[in-house]
Amino acid sequence: MIGIYVHIPFCESKCIYCDFASFVCAEQEKYFSFLLQEINNSENKGQTVDTIYFGGGTPSVVEPKYIADTLDAIRKNFEVLKDSEITIECNPNSVTPENLDAYHSIGFNRISFGVQSLNDDVLKFLGRKHRRSDALLAIENAKKVGFENISADLIVGLPKVSSRMLCSHAKKLIDMGVTHISSYMLQVEEGTPLFKMCQENPQILPVEDDCAESFSKLVLLLSKYNFNQYEVSNFARIGFESRHNLKYWSGENYLGFGLSATSTYGNRRWTNGGKFETYFKGKKEVEFLGNREKIEEKIMLGLRCYLGFDIKEIEKLGYKISEKEDFETFLKKGIIYEKEGKIYLNPKFYSVNNQIISKLLP
Amino acid sequence: MNRQDKIRNFCIVAHIDHGKSTLADRLIELTGSLAKRDMQDQLLDSMELERERGITIKLTPTRMLYEFEGETYTLNLIDTPGHVDFTYEVSRSLTACEGAILIVDASQGVEAQTLANAYLAIDNNLEILPVINKIDLPSARPDEVKDEIEDIVGVPAMHAPCISAKDGTNIDKVLEMIVKEFPAPKGDENEKLKCLIFDSYYDNFKGAICLIRVFDGKVKIGDKIKMMQTGKVFDVTEVGIFTPSAKQTEFLLAGDVGYLAGSIKTISDVAVGDTITHANNPTENALAGYKKVQPVVFCGIFTVDGAKYNDLKDALEKLKLNDASLEYQPEVSDALGFGFRCGFLGLLHLEIITERIEREFNLDIITTAPGVFYNVHKTNGEMIVISNPSDLPSQVEIDYIEEPIVKASLFTPPEYVGAIMELCQDKRGTYKDLTYLDKTRVRVDYTLPLGEIIYDFFDSLKSRTKGYASFDYEMAGFEKSELVRVDILLNGDKCDALSLIVHKDKAYSRGRAIAEKLKKIIPRQLFEVPIQAAIGNKIIARETISAMRKDVLAKCYGGDISRKRKLLEKQKEGKKKMRQIGSVEIPSEAFMSILKLDDDK
Repeated sequence: MIGIYVHIPFCESKCIYCDFASFVCAEQEKYFSFLLQEINNSENKGQTVDTIYFGGGTPSVVEPKYIADTLDAIRKNFEVLKDSEITIECNPNSVTPENLDAYHSIGFNRISFGVQSLNDDVLKFLGRKHRRSDALLAIENAKKVGFENISADLIVGLPKVSSRMLCSHAKKLIDMGVTHISSYMLQVEEGTPLFKMCQENPQILPVEDDCAESFSKLVLLLSKYNFNQYEVSNFARIGFESRHNLKYWSGENYLGFGLSATSTYGNRRWTNGGKFETYFKGKKEVEFLGNREKIEEKIMLGLRCYLGFDIKEIEKLGYKISEKEDFETFLKKGIIYEKEGKIYLNPKFYSVNNQIISKLLP
Repeated sequence: MNRQDKIRNFCIVAHIDHGKSTLADRLIELTGSLAKRDMQDQLLDSMELERERGITIKLTPTRMLYEFEGETYTLNLIDTPGHVDFTYEVSRSLTACEGAILIVDASQGVEAQTLANAYLAIDNNLEILPVINKIDLPSARPDEVKDEIEDIVGVPAMHAPCISAKDGTNIDKVLEMIVKEFPAPKGDENEKLKCLIFDSYYDNFKGAICLIRVFDGKVKIGDKIKMMQTGKVFDVTEVGIFTPSAKQTEFLLAGDVGYLAGSIKTISDVAVGDTITHANNPTENALAGYKKVQPVVFCGIFTVDGAKYNDLKDALEKLKLNDASLEYQPEVSDALGFGFRCGFLGLLHLEIITERIEREFNLDIITTAPGVFYNVHKTNGEMIVISNPSDLPSQVEIDYIEEPIVKASLFTPPEYVGAIMELCQDKRGTYKDLTYLDKTRVRVDYTLPLGEIIYDFFDSLKSRTKGYASFDYEMAGFEKSELVRVDILLNGDKCDALSLIVHKDKAYSRGRAIAEKLKKIIPRQLFEVPIQAAIGNKIIARETISAMRKDVLAKCYGGDISRKRKLLEKQKEGKKKMRQIGSVEIPSEAFMSILKLDDDK
């Protein structure tokens, strides 16, 4: 069974930290006709699908009919199972009760809101169009139309956000009935307005220790409310983990449609053009995944989440990880642990996973 | 006129930056040894490093043809380095010459190395021709400088040509005087062969190349030659001259300067200073050769990639061929693995060698903090000489330690005398003398521990005197001193490569400074890392690197996986360059950083 990702590269405005493929104004009509064509011509037609994810950009800024047409095309060309998880990313301000209702009625059963913060000053600083009240209203409306699986994003490491404020935001979201929270550290990507701001004034961002402190407080709070850290940055109540994202992390096949979307199928990974011209021309960047890449990804993705990785599976690919000195050391120190032939990262060390993973690679 | 009467072998000596290489360029240009279009500034400085730094490190010979009064003269010039560290190279080239041009800067006058080099030339019985350079400068004072040369150096200077090597003024006068003043070589072509190897270098195709001065006899291709010191015999495969690029000739005769190749593959078979003669008809008396120079500064050199040990060995062997003063022997460090303990003539020499290893041999290396050598007198009456802090016996076994002392002369404008004395005092110096050379220059004499000089003395001197002071030193024996070894412990494990020997009174401040510096350089680890400085079992300073709290927690969805994987691969590669001390990873820079403690202050 495969997962399908659809990229909607449109936004009302660009946030200061964003380096995603998203465009404020563009030819939506043309884009969707290409997108449908791409789905109709997929060489993997007929596959069974059990997760679909509409991400962006902001899928909620386009007319719901485009979303409906796209979902229809997927259903026509693929075997979409009845109990599939179908997610749409929404911005709290661009989503009306009517649109929410439309999404729900055409089959979306999971919604992910880009809340980021519940403080208006912070939201303004980030260049977000919505405010606290918009976010809370959007969640309320989503529940009203029947969404039971609601996720919210929260950014950690924002200027002027104390760990107390961050936790109070998380708590508020839980009270509102959110079942899943994704929480990332604010990353300063080159080419973004935030990058420029930080170059001019490096003090605007909080220091490493404060970010780490905030994050660990957040983890603590979430666990208290039975939100499990099932991946380094993702928390959910049992049964509400993102099945689509777990597909990425368990190394299953997935197809990506739309501008800049990536697909992985067997030994091949390919990525569509990241600009309208290149996407429309059908340009793709293709990567071959050999044993080495597969081993590395199994270790990396497995340790980042609660799935772990299978020692035997990796050995079959040609890597005897148990002979590695660091592997021994980490086991002894309890940084990683073994259970039924699988290796897991101790969640206490999720926040320094890069350090550990890079030492375990072949 | 016989053949040798039309040869002049000479060198140019001067204080650093007084214009040796520029004058050499002009001489080559004027004698037409090279087409103008091939001219490049500082021709003889062929090493990339030499051009970059604008200094001469290696001596380089070149042959020029000069017409004078209807006769064609062969002028063999051997360019020499000017820095104090390379005095040895200068003295080597002097023995191959009959005359020396002594360049003095028309505004700066006689400097430390002017004096030192002039004395070297006099010691070698060379005829000295003073030349006043840079007369184009507004501050030039040629007449005063001529007086200075006569007063301080003690050679006649009234007839000295006043030139500007930069503008090409009066260069012809210099050429004329080379012919008139310098004696011709007086060897005998029919005598048994006697050549001095004054330098050598390694060529990947031809083997070791000897730079030679023929004193007696004749050498040609096919001759069987013998190295008198090593006793090794070789067939000559090529002889030639430098024009300045190597140009093959049929033979070299008494009086000539050139090169010789003989498929010499073993580098150690060539000893600079050795005499070459014919194997079948050898001369009885070898030339005097050179006295061995003692290295004074030592440090460990290791490769970043431990597997490259043999490449490093190979590099040192080849550099040694070209630089007889370099010394090295294998060393094993717990922290850095297999490497070499190397001895140098000074800090600049150390810096040049390490840079050449990195550039010419493409090796990433780690050098440990430079130190000097000590005479350690043990309680059992034994005396050992150590240059590696790790070799220092435990406190109870030591009766006393002696450290090397230098006699230092500092030349400075009077206004900086105070600053210089303060610096020397701070460096545990003992005041000896103060002499006013003229209204604008003072000579200050101190004795100083060598170990203090190699530790940021030059930089401090430069910054305190705005670069006006110059400095020269010579070894002056040993003195008893209260020295201790400061060890650095990382997470409780001693890191031998970071140990150093310092004076008791400075141990605390150095220990603290190193701990602080390491805290800045060593990245945070998965656990907390204490950094301690200790004398024996006594901890004298402590810093703590707190445990790492987070990596960047980045998204990792379908489109991010490849990027994330590559990032981790890169991170893994980066870790390979780290050194493991117990459970602590430290970057290579850490070992060198402790040299530059004062930079941040």
